[in-house]
Amino acid sequence: MRTEAAGAWRPPPRIASATTRRLLVLGGGAYTVIALVTIDVDAARMAEGAARAVDFFGGWLRPDFVTRWSDIRAGLVESLAMTLAATAAGFVLSVPFGLGAARNLVPPPVYAVCRGALAVFRAFHEVLVAILFVAMFGFGAFAGFMTLVVATVGFLGKLLAEAVEEIDAAPLEALTAAGAPWLSRIAFGVLPQVMPRILGLTLYRLDINFRESAIIGLVGAGGIGATLITAFARYEFESVSAILILIISMLFLAEVVSGRLRRRLL
Amino acid sequence: MTASPGSDLDGYGSAEHSVLEVEDLVVRYGTGADVLRGVSFTLAPAEIVGLIGASGAGKSTLLRAVQRLVEPSSGSVRLGGTELTTLGTTELRSARRRMGMIFQEHALIDRLSVMENVLCGTLGRTGFWQAVRRRFDEADVSEAFRLLHRMGLEGFEDRRCDELSGGQKQRVGIARALIQNPDLLLVDEPTASLDPAASVRIMTLISDVCRESGLAALINLHDVPLARRFCPRILALHEGRLAFDGPSLDLTDDVLTAVYGEEAVESHVVPTPGSEVGRAD
Repeated sequence: MRTEAAGAWRPPPRIASATTRRLLVLGGGAYTVIALVTIDVDAARMAEGAARAVDFFGGWLRPDFVTRWSDIRAGLVESLAMTLAATAAGFVLSVPFGLGAARNLVPPPVYAVCRGALAVFRAFHEVLVAILFVAMFGFGAFAGFMTLVVATVGFLGKLLAEAVEEIDAAPLEALTAAGAPWLSRIAFGVLPQVMPRILGLTLYRLDINFRESAIIGLVGAGGIGATLITAFARYEFESVSAILILIISMLFLAEVVSGRLRRRLL
Repeated sequence: MTASPGSDLDGYGSAEHSVLEVEDLVVRYGTGADVLRGVSFTLAPAEIVGLIGASGAGKSTLLRAVQRLVEPSSGSVRLGGTELTTLGTTELRSARRRMGMIFQEHALIDRLSVMENVLCGTLGRTGFWQAVRRRFDEADVSEAFRLLHRMGLEGFEDRRCDELSGGQKQRVGIARALIQNPDLLLVDEPTASLDPAASVRIMTLISDVCRESGLAALINLHDVPLARRFCPRILALHEGRLAFDGPSLDLTDDVLTAVYGEEAVESHVVPTPGSEVGRAD
């Protein structure tokens, strides 16, 4: 038995060649230095910004819920409506796309079309999609709703497809053996296995959509984001603070509600 | 009979009045070697047949090929005279309803209730919306209650299947297969995950319900003593070929050696007729 070398044991390096390892470290260091030099660090602009930051953070300490309350309330209600409607519509639409994108359920052409569609839905950031929909449908909540639906279908569809591909195939096979048609096999053999995960992910998406509703409002797609950008543009940092506090509170509330729902449903 | 020393009983292998006729069945996965190499046999009504063989001999593949859960490469499978290998999707679904299948690991939907799992056996004849809304035919629901009572699972209707023991799950699987009202029961290693006592109980149950309803059964068993005890006729597969087809009494040392190899028989891993090791009764 070899015991004398036990203390000297080291895991083998992930990159076998010592020269390659040294070159990688040197290369990484040089790149970081060059990157830092390339950034235009302007001390004067930083000083100017610091003064504005003091105003901004000062506003944080004096949140004003009153002056712009009607705008804030309208923005919040719009954001909530967009979030709930888009999550529900996205959930419903994601089911056919998710099932169609599961390799173990459908023939290759259907799989390719559904996977392709889901990839397109996820290809662009929500802000870009929102800009597109604002250009198509004009400013307001409908553009935001459409943006969130597309994002939700891309997100839930992909994860549903992955969940379906990981299911236990035996119950599905048992239903096939009993002569059950395709739709019944899906309803009884697939959905009961993936539904807990999908409901959990839908509740998570609800959180994300509320946050996103604030972001896409910045480009004109309605919701609390539009109220926020207006307050910023007017340098009303007290109202900005109030809006951000409300967004954070809503997210906390959503977390509590979704946690309870998850426990009850799953 | 195939290579079955001393097992030339009249009536075995006769295609007349058979429930199932398998002829020269070949199954090949992809471009690999044949898993089944020209298997032929018949099953008479109410006949309980054990299917034994070493791991990889093709036992499960044979059951799955009869159901066309794997596609046969060549050969013929006839259920009550209907050729299954050439059926289209709709006709195949109808034919599958006539074959109840019991699976090794139960193959239940854990998140559904016992009753829902049993009624899944009726999905072949229940409309989609009717089933989704849980509006199953009253006759099917009554039959499900009767079967659960017969399986010793009275009062378990609304329990979720993931709350049941292995033996209870297997009984739900049996009820699901029986509610199809099949002509033939295909049973794939029903005792694989059970202890010896539970294995005997499950085999007794399967054997009894087959006798009560005159149901033919082809039962894949890895446990030779159980096969001997419950199956009057045995089919033994060796490397995809039928190495034995005859009464269980004729399952001699020579046959078991041919099926499992000398080492397994000599070490009593596969108990022979004279050996006490591993006997279930």
